[in-house]
Amino acid sequence: MLKIKLVPYEKVKEQKFGRLIRDLHEKTLIIIDAKLNAKEEAQLIAETMKGVSDGFSGIELSSLDFRKKAEWGRMEKIKNALVERMVGKKRGITIIGPAKFVQKIKRNPEELLVYL
Amino acid sequence: MVIRRMRNGLVLIIRSLFRRKRDVKIGLYGPVNSGKTTLANRICVDWLGEEMGRVSAIPHETREIQMKERVKIKNNGKSLTFNLIDTPGIATKIDFEDFVRAGLKKAVAKERAREATKGVIESIKWLDSMDMVLVVLDSTKDPINQVNITILGNLDARNIPVLIVGNKTDLRGSNLARIRNAFPKYPIIGISAKKGENIQDFYSHLIKEL
Repeated sequence: MLKIKLVPYEKVKEQKFGRLIRDLHEKTLIIIDAKLNAKEEAQLIAETMKGVSDGFSGIELSSLDFRKKAEWGRMEKIKNALVERMVGKKRGITIIGPAKFVQKIKRNPEELLVYL
Repeated sequence: MVIRRMRNGLVLIIRSLFRRKRDVKIGLYGPVNSGKTTLANRICVDWLGEEMGRVSAIPHETREIQMKERVKIKNNGKSLTFNLIDTPGIATKIDFEDFVRAGLKKAVAKERAREATKGVIESIKWLDSMDMVLVVLDSTKDPINQVNITILGNLDARNIPVLIVGNKTDLRGSNLARIRNAFPKYPIIGISAKKGENIQDFYSHLIKEL
């Protein structure tokens, strides 16, 4: 049975993906309350690859930043960067699921669709 | 586009000031089976007279980093010398059963999967060493997927110049406009590495972008 777990971004950062990957091995779909940045995504992929085995083929992953950055002006970019730095949290969402159970996560500009 | 080129030039000048003198490294990155090694072979045959690696319809044929040193290309009176690095395709999942379905024996498939996972890790590690990256995408496929987004995001975060190569333009279903719409801020060139279509234009872009 596939479980769904909501995880705060701070927890993921603190545990450096270790706990998260263990959960993925235990048939759990993870939802993080922030968008991982590109370097974090690459690190997660590399860490996942270390654990690939006959029973665990990897992950499906997708993250989304709900803010419309492309429409931001210079001042708005500076303001948001400052807020992000002060709060220490990136807005958005990340969904990660074990590939044996999640067929794909389709990413539209403003929504994520998970195919089980 | 002009600002991006100026920024790329500035990044390269700054890098050359702070690093010891060495050859420029151009990496081929992309998802599995997008034609990275086919393009590497095309470049190497055109300018060195020999291929770089084996290609196959079975995914993850390239499972180790491969490099050809001192590749010198010329176009319209300009030239560029670089080390060409072909990387294993990046994937978020590798299932040995996919290789079995492609016709490999179970033991061989498992070994291929094991090597492929190492290849993905190596590709990610090598990102920091690149001076420029050619992101090779299969132009018949939807470009909006997590692997492509993660690769481009990582190159952006490292300020590494990028040229997106929309490969397989000879195939029905090739759609360069889809890639342009997905990644509007990057320079994009459409080619068929296998057939050599638009390859001179590609060399011209390569010299221009670097």
